[in-house]
Amino acid sequence: MSARADTVGAHGDSLWSKAFRKFRHDRVGMWSLAVVLAYAIVALGVVLGVWATDWAEVSGPKWSPASVEYWFGTNIIGQDIFARSLYSTRTAFEVGLLVALGATALGALLGAIAGFFSGTWIDELIIWVMGVLDSVPFILLVAAIAYTLQGSPWAMHIAMISTFWIGTARLIRGEVIKLKSLEYVEAAQAIGVNRLMIIFRHILPNTFHILLVQATLSFVAAIKSEVILSFLGLGVKDGMSWGLMISESTFEVLAGFFNNFLAASVLMFGLVMAFNMFSDALQDALDPRTVK
Amino acid sequence: MDSAPTSLDPVRASTLYANQLVVNLYDTLYAYKYLQRPYKLRPNLAAAMPKISPDGLTYSIPVKKGVYFADDPAFPGGKGRELTAGDFVYSLKRHFDPSTRPGGAWLWQGRIVGLDEWKQAGSDYSQEVPGLRAIDSHLVQLTLQRPYPQLVDTLALGFSGVVPREAVEYYGREFSINPVGSGPFRLVSYDSSRAVLVPQENYRREPVDLEYEGYDPVTQSRYGVALIDGRIPPFVDRLEVNFIKEGSARWSSFTKSNEIQYAGLPNEQVERVLASIDPVTLKPEYAEKYHMKTALEAGFVYSTFNMDFPEFGYNDNPERARRNHALRCAMIRGFDWESRNESWYSGIGEVFPGIIPPVVPEFDPGLARDSVTYDPEGARALLAEHGWNAESLPVLTYGTTPGPTSRLFFEQFRAWMMRIGYPKDKIILKTYATFGDIVKAWRNSELPFISKGWGLDYPDAENTLQLFYGPNASPGSNDGNYRNPEYDELYRRAGVMLPSPERTELYRRMNQMMIDDCVAITGLSRVGITLWHRNVIALPDRNFVGGRFMYYVDVLEPGAPELEALR
Amino acid sequence: MEVLQYIVRKLIAGIPLVLGVTLISFVLIVYFGPDKTYELLGKNPTAEEIAEIRSQLGYDQPFTTRYLDYLREVIRLEFGNSESTDEKVSSILARTIPTSLALAIPGFILGNLLGVMLALVAAYFRGYWIDKFIMGFAAVGMSISFLIAIIGFQILLSSSDGLDLLPVRGWDTSTPLQYIRYVTVPTLATVFVALGYNTRFYRAVIVEEMTRDHVRTARAFGVPPAQLFYRNILKNSMIPIVTRIMFSIPVIVISGSLLLESYFGIPGVGKVTYDAIVTGDQPILKAVVVLTAVLFVVAQLLADICYRIVDPRVSLK
Repeated sequence: MSARADTVGAHGDSLWSKAFRKFRHDRVGMWSLAVVLAYAIVALGVVLGVWATDWAEVSGPKWSPASVEYWFGTNIIGQDIFARSLYSTRTAFEVGLLVALGATALGALLGAIAGFFSGTWIDELIIWVMGVLDSVPFILLVAAIAYTLQGSPWAMHIAMISTFWIGTARLIRGEVIKLKSLEYVEAAQAIGVNRLMIIFRHILPNTFHILLVQATLSFVAAIKSEVILSFLGLGVKDGMSWGLMISESTFEVLAGFFNNFLAASVLMFGLVMAFNMFSDALQDALDPRTVK
Repeated sequence: MDSAPTSLDPVRASTLYANQLVVNLYDTLYAYKYLQRPYKLRPNLAAAMPKISPDGLTYSIPVKKGVYFADDPAFPGGKGRELTAGDFVYSLKRHFDPSTRPGGAWLWQGRIVGLDEWKQAGSDYSQEVPGLRAIDSHLVQLTLQRPYPQLVDTLALGFSGVVPREAVEYYGREFSINPVGSGPFRLVSYDSSRAVLVPQENYRREPVDLEYEGYDPVTQSRYGVALIDGRIPPFVDRLEVNFIKEGSARWSSFTKSNEIQYAGLPNEQVERVLASIDPVTLKPEYAEKYHMKTALEAGFVYSTFNMDFPEFGYNDNPERARRNHALRCAMIRGFDWESRNESWYSGIGEVFPGIIPPVVPEFDPGLARDSVTYDPEGARALLAEHGWNAESLPVLTYGTTPGPTSRLFFEQFRAWMMRIGYPKDKIILKTYATFGDIVKAWRNSELPFISKGWGLDYPDAENTLQLFYGPNASPGSNDGNYRNPEYDELYRRAGVMLPSPERTELYRRMNQMMIDDCVAITGLSRVGITLWHRNVIALPDRNFVGGRFMYYVDVLEPGAPELEALR
Repeated sequence: MEVLQYIVRKLIAGIPLVLGVTLISFVLIVYFGPDKTYELLGKNPTAEEIAEIRSQLGYDQPFTTRYLDYLREVIRLEFGNSESTDEKVSSILARTIPTSLALAIPGFILGNLLGVMLALVAAYFRGYWIDKFIMGFAAVGMSISFLIAIIGFQILLSSSDGLDLLPVRGWDTSTPLQYIRYVTVPTLATVFVALGYNTRFYRAVIVEEMTRDHVRTARAFGVPPAQLFYRNILKNSMIPIVTRIMFSIPVIVISGSLLLESYFGIPGVGKVTYDAIVTGDQPILKAVVVLTAVLFVVAQLLADICYRIVDPRVSLK
């Protein structure tokens, strides 16, 4: 554990530069990053209206097979599955990024507060909230939040953020407890530097490597949860997503029409797999024990 | 069956599913004849058709003697006692007792003398209701406030199933899952996936009289129903009703094993199973194994504008009201019923104009079909003519429940509206978590546009025309809040008339009024394809006969000589 | 005696947790949740009937009264009758929990057992191709959505486009053979998805143990590898493994099978819960939420006790 302490203070920069160098040499990591970026470009193109603008239109016949005109065929009401798949990539990034940012930020904030005030009632309260949220079954909690925020398109995001932050908060809390006993923090406290200042200026920046990895994990978890929540009718409301495509496909696959299912699951698998490997490589690169 | 009923208590038999089981577990005074079409009532628990006073207000109904409830611990000694006229009176009163959470009170509300007052006074069962009396142990007398030609039809519904008071009190709230009735079957086990019924030992032994039931040898002989003539039902030793929501699962269970002997053909399998759509014929490999029948549903799906929304419906500004009328008419023309039918109902549903569906005798096959003919150019022209453009078109909130099908219904609708010039972001999806929640929004008039289905309770267009009757506006079933004094007046006039050409004429005038006012996008009656194994002797019907066909079902050994004779 | 005292103390410490869960779930599910009124109403209701049903359901009571009623129900462990079917909540749970267990246990055991085995192999051959192969497989398993795995196995094994061997959906435990026929597809999907996570987790734990000083020392002193594995590595890895297993139990009893049950139409507690969510059947939700919270407290307790059995050095303090 003494190796972790190296990340603090003057040696902090070297962790990042070493990690960057290490990551550059990780072939799997670089490839997975390239795949993720490719997906990101697709998503960006949708946002800018370059492609998949006709995802909502009904143009073709029912269940047409893949063809030159409809690369992935059409769905039951004659919509172009290819355009819908591309549009769903954008949705995946939207969900993944928002949830990852939200959950990581919330986890960092509450985890840091709990850690900094460890042993006081503030810490107890935050631990209690985490315990309570952990004890309510995930889907039940999400469903409840989704229903409470009826009709809001952000219900699913909020529901995921409100559970995903816990893991991050636990890690950060542990890390902060360790960091705050370090000399410079104690020194800062002794000369009367504002406590919040200490948390944000000095402690949190030193947990950034944990936050980065946690954010990538939340990103993947969000995309995967979206599929299940959309299937259960608790997910994306207006728009299109891989989860919605898969839930559409549930009544098609047994009729022998697989296009929706294949398009959504293969595209989703590609992104999640790439992201998982990217996250692994990142973790390796940032792990001080392996930074030699 | 596709869904599990939540309650088997007749007062809560609101769904098709509950009704199917309830009519097998309980007795109703009247029933529809098994085979006759159009539907015709016949006495069931009643000994005869009612004697109606000349003013049409007093109905005297004799109850059969010697009818016993099923044996049950709720009765002293566990032996079912004889059913009396008092039991019917008690059962109907329960619809006016809020503690039973009844679903059928609207059928008799404001109709039977003294019943509403009885409820006002606190639903005390020891108090008599003047219009609902047991004259003696086997004679019921109903007195109406004004003529109600559909009264006897309501007495054939599961809602009016006769329950014994002892059992209601013995089981308390769990009466809903411990049915005790005098119907042909009794329940052995029941959960959310399956109900198992066996013949009820005390059920009266009445041989089938095919001619009386309306047997038509020309159309029905191939199903072998002639084999049950003169025999005493029920014929099966055990009746298993499986509740399977997903059509494909139901279908595979039907084709793979002999477990399920009767099932509807799910939409997504149609192309695999049928040789042709018009007329509907099975591919030979299926025809070899199964009987098939197409049945028009007793109901329809439609969408209505909510006339209480000034953006679409009534508006104090007459100019705007006129433009709103044009807007609604344009949207109706922009709705592609043909594609809807093709995508979701295999193209075999019946699209019809107005709200008198093909299943009722008052249906007019000659009615002009403009309101169901897809005409996007006409719609665009109409919009332009009345000054509607992407800027001025009002935002439309479309409510749905979660689920891929209802979402795709929305997407299809939005795509059609985009074609007539509606901007995509002006048609907004609002998802309600549960069906109950969306019904709440309809009842409270919170949505400008309502898509729903209506199932008929009895084969009389009065049951659909009431959907647009002013006094039934929210929270009633007139979700469109259509208020047309002329329409309402005709409705009231027709309401006390017995079936006659004059009444049909009134019905059709009302129908035309709501078509001309462009109130609703309507409608389509779904056609279900039902298959059953060839060794099953039956003529299934989900409509008004409901689950009662199960009473007449017989299952022979596959390959029995009687069956071979049918080929 | 010491153990008993410990258990009682732990259980008392769990009370704030259970209170928190009831409050949050009450606010979310019961207070803001779906409104059952309109599902119970007839086709053509009057305003008066709406008010009657609302009062029947207790919706007209103030918040505190309703929450206190709930706590009273929790203490008596008596949740009344379902608002949909009128069946007693206790008998619904008694009927559905065994079904959920029968559905979840094979996948749970296989997923963990295979996970530990693969993790051991991978850790033992750390860095070799077999390790890479196993971890690659785990990464694939982790990247596939549970729902996709379910549909995939269903197409493969149950549809006429696949092998068409097993039933598409449903549940039947009347004979062992039937049970196996119905439980196979859900189990395969569960194992396939859980295996990735389990293998990774267990491998990390085992590798951590293997690189500890005392293990290296023992190895240097020539302790036979097999003995080393059982005595030192596996035994010490048991603590995180047991914790993980213990904490999955409340999840598999209550919610873990929700997706499986609603997809395959299996009448277990997950499906009942889901139906209760979408219909706003509050008595069932109230009972399920409390049950999960209590199970969590108990699981925590059992995990602590298991530590002691696995490793007597851990004291119950």
